[in-house]
Amino acid sequence: MRRSDLGEFEEVVLLAVAALSPGAYSVIIAEELEHETGNSVSTGAVHAALQRLEQKGYLTSHLGEATAERGGRRKRLFTVTALGGRILQDVRAVRNRLWDRILPNIRLEWS
Amino acid sequence: MQPPKFADRLLRLFCAPHLHEEVLGDLHERYVVRANQLGEKRARRRYWLDVLAYVRPEFIRRKPTEFPNPTNAIMIRNYLKITFRTLTRNKLYTTLNVAGLTFGVTCFLLIGLYLFDELTFDQQHSQSRRIYRAIQHKKGPTEDLTIAASSYKVSEESKKNIGEIENTARIVRTGRANLTNPENKNTFQETIAFANSGMMEVFDFETVDGSSKSALKEPNTIVIVEELAQRLFNTSQVTGKNISLESMDKPLKITAVLKNHPRNSSFDFNSIISEETLLHDADFAEWTSNWASQNFMTFFLLKEKANLDVAARKITQLLNANAKLDVGNTMSYSLQPLADIHLYSENIVDGARNSNVAEMGKGVLLYVKIFAVVALFVLLIACINYMNLTTARASNRSKEIGIRKANGAFQSHLVKQFLTESMVVTAVSFLLAIVVVNLLLPAFNEFTNKQLSLGFSTDYRIWLYALLALAFTGILSGSYPSLLLSKFSLLSLLKNLKLQNKGDLSLRKGLVVFQFTISVVMIITTIVLFQQIRFANSKNLGFNKELLLVVDINSAKIRSGAETIKAEFSKIPTVKNVSTTSRVPGEWKTISTIKIRPEGNADEHKISYLLGVDENFAKTFEVRLLKGRNFMNTSDSSSIILNETAAKLLNITNVSGQLVEIPERAMGGSYSPLSTGQTFHARVIGIVSDFHFQSIREKIGPMVLAYQNNPVYPIDYYTSRVEGKDIPGTLAKMNEVLTKIDPTHILEYHFLDEQLARFYAEDQRRETLLIWTALATIFIACLGLFGLATYAAEQRIKEIGVRKVLGASIFNLTALLSKDFLKLVLIANGIAFPLAWWAMNRWLSEFAYHIDIEWWFFAVAGSLAIVIALATVSYQAIKAALVNPVKSLRSE
Repeated sequence: MRRSDLGEFEEVVLLAVAALSPGAYSVIIAEELEHETGNSVSTGAVHAALQRLEQKGYLTSHLGEATAERGGRRKRLFTVTALGGRILQDVRAVRNRLWDRILPNIRLEWS
Repeated sequence: MQPPKFADRLLRLFCAPHLHEEVLGDLHERYVVRANQLGEKRARRRYWLDVLAYVRPEFIRRKPTEFPNPTNAIMIRNYLKITFRTLTRNKLYTTLNVAGLTFGVTCFLLIGLYLFDELTFDQQHSQSRRIYRAIQHKKGPTEDLTIAASSYKVSEESKKNIGEIENTARIVRTGRANLTNPENKNTFQETIAFANSGMMEVFDFETVDGSSKSALKEPNTIVIVEELAQRLFNTSQVTGKNISLESMDKPLKITAVLKNHPRNSSFDFNSIISEETLLHDADFAEWTSNWASQNFMTFFLLKEKANLDVAARKITQLLNANAKLDVGNTMSYSLQPLADIHLYSENIVDGARNSNVAEMGKGVLLYVKIFAVVALFVLLIACINYMNLTTARASNRSKEIGIRKANGAFQSHLVKQFLTESMVVTAVSFLLAIVVVNLLLPAFNEFTNKQLSLGFSTDYRIWLYALLALAFTGILSGSYPSLLLSKFSLLSLLKNLKLQNKGDLSLRKGLVVFQFTISVVMIITTIVLFQQIRFANSKNLGFNKELLLVVDINSAKIRSGAETIKAEFSKIPTVKNVSTTSRVPGEWKTISTIKIRPEGNADEHKISYLLGVDENFAKTFEVRLLKGRNFMNTSDSSSIILNETAAKLLNITNVSGQLVEIPERAMGGSYSPLSTGQTFHARVIGIVSDFHFQSIREKIGPMVLAYQNNPVYPIDYYTSRVEGKDIPGTLAKMNEVLTKIDPTHILEYHFLDEQLARFYAEDQRRETLLIWTALATIFIACLGLFGLATYAAEQRIKEIGVRKVLGASIFNLTALLSKDFLKLVLIANGIAFPLAWWAMNRWLSEFAYHIDIEWWFFAVAGSLAIVIALATVSYQAIKAALVNPVKSLRSE
């Protein structure tokens, strides 16, 4: 498995899509990330990441319905593919394993 | 609650179109959210930042279209391919188009070269933009003189005292004298000029030998041109050799040999002696002391960025501070740019030259303008021709245009295709025209007296203009057809397979009318010019100009030996009469003018011309004596004879020895007292009928004939009326007589009728140029007409077939087809006649004596146009009428 083709921001965006499914699109994702991290996140950055993820095959997209606040424009909705899901699992497994190797029953002491 | 519109527009500009919907949607939705949370102002600022966040390659890159998008190169290749196919398939029309354009472009290029030469006169000097000629304006009660001359003082002191002036060049043409090569005794009579060293510094004369810049610094030095060097020495490498000038003891050392003057230079001297040579003469200081005189033609080299008007004003101030002017006279200076000398010197007297030195050549601005217009018209006619033929042919191509449109060609594609076609045709015509121009140039140069060329060494500006003309011609001739043909709707193109367009037809007719109008105007102009020149050459001039042989007096001995020479000349059997005069009628040298008034009269003086003549003048020139008597002998030295105009001017009707006084004379410049220093008191003894002593552009002026030894001007010519046989023998005998009197003299002679014809040589040149241009325009117009007639005959082939079956005769059919075109030519005549009449009246009014415009000029021109048009059209008409109707009706 090539881990290197999933950047950190991409990973977060991919996770967000999975979390917000089935109604994930760039505006909600950007708002969510802004809310979660406290940093400002532009739709442009999110959109670009979504495009890259779709290109890699981790996401699929389709056009949704139009709303008034969008000036009657349709939104592009994203869903995670099976490949995307497995990648997320893998990433999580790697991290879990690493977390598990930190002595489990004592309090963490950061030097 | 609207996000900034400008940001949206910006986004639309850089973002790929297929992403607009989602991107703009996202942005607007977020804007609404933000506006609710943070307020509108901050939302707007964030909106801008968000928009800029989309400046990434992913969003800028355009999505490839699913349809093929041919590159320009491929389309151009296709256009060219189709162009060549179309052109080669319709050989007749292609030939007509190319021939018409080639003719037009050839005329355009030839005239263009001529004009370019006229307009770039005197610009070969590297500092030409800073060189100005001093023009003196002198005003007085009887005088109003504008002359290209200045005094030595003004020329010299201005350079020293006026900050704007960097250098001064001055030249004086002192007259004709013999130059001799002391080694082989080759002698030629040449115009002699003196100039200061500035002449060589200010101007860049190219040299063949020696260096020009310092050539005139030393006394007793001379600069000659290559052509004179060849004549004197048979070689042009003669720097350092000596030349002797008659009337000067010391030899002159040659310091530089200049290249012959280019044809577009106003200068025509072939030798210049350094001013230093004269500087130590006793007379020089005296001659140059007067601030108000007109000794030299002066050129000032102004400093960079010097103000022209300021410089001129300072010169005038300097003059007025020093000059002693007569009461009532004013004098000022202006500066004329070097480049203007050739075309803008119409009212400026060419000063600082002896009366026997020819004027500097001038161009006529009016003709430059006329020829520029003619050149453009010829090109325009050629373009119109192309438009006409192409639009007429277009209906045959409606299928092609229709299919192209059906396959998805835009209008722009069709426009480009037709433009490619016209550009190719124009380019081919241009190449052909350049070849033709090069073939014609030797003849053209000979008759325009220029050295034009069109090749690799030609001025780049000419090529630039030619390329511009090429692009202009191609686009102009291609624009109308392409715009028209690409406009039709697909349906009508494919359904009717024919273009029916009334407006198009009338425009085509209009263009034919336009072409023929210009052609007819040109024919009439040519006829009028021809008639006027014939009139000028055959007009009764008041004297008989045929077989008058004029011999110049070029030495003092030949002048003083007048009585002997006359006696000896009249002994020659082929000589009928001999007369000696100061000037001859039809003179190119300046004829002196005098101030004259009846004695005891206090009025202002009148101005009259004066000729010194002898008792044989009336007999030799066959001038009629009206009243009084002729001169008898030397006792008549204070008698004068008037012409009718002068008699009228002085109110003399009956000759009774009235006394007149002649206090001053002028040789083209200012009036000055006679050389004796006293007023010439003369008695009127006779009146002769008016005779033309100038070009017939001028009205006959008042003329006083004084006796040969008058105090105003000495004799300069012997004129003999000779028999037409054995002219060389007569000349040899005359030379013998003159050699006996002065062994060093050089025989110089001309025939008066040839001399007179020179007045009209320029007109003759213009006439020839016009005839050729007229022929070219008619030819081009006929090519167009021929093409249109061919096309009309093709279109109506069914109609003609049916008419023939029903019994129409060939004559009927020919008339039917020719009628339409004849109508157009008649309309063209109707427009051309008044136009030509107006223009020709203007031109003729330039001549004091001219022909009247007669009705037959118009009749000839009109019927010529009709005949030519008819001949062109009827060939096609008859051909169409002769076709067997079975052939034309059999297949649909």
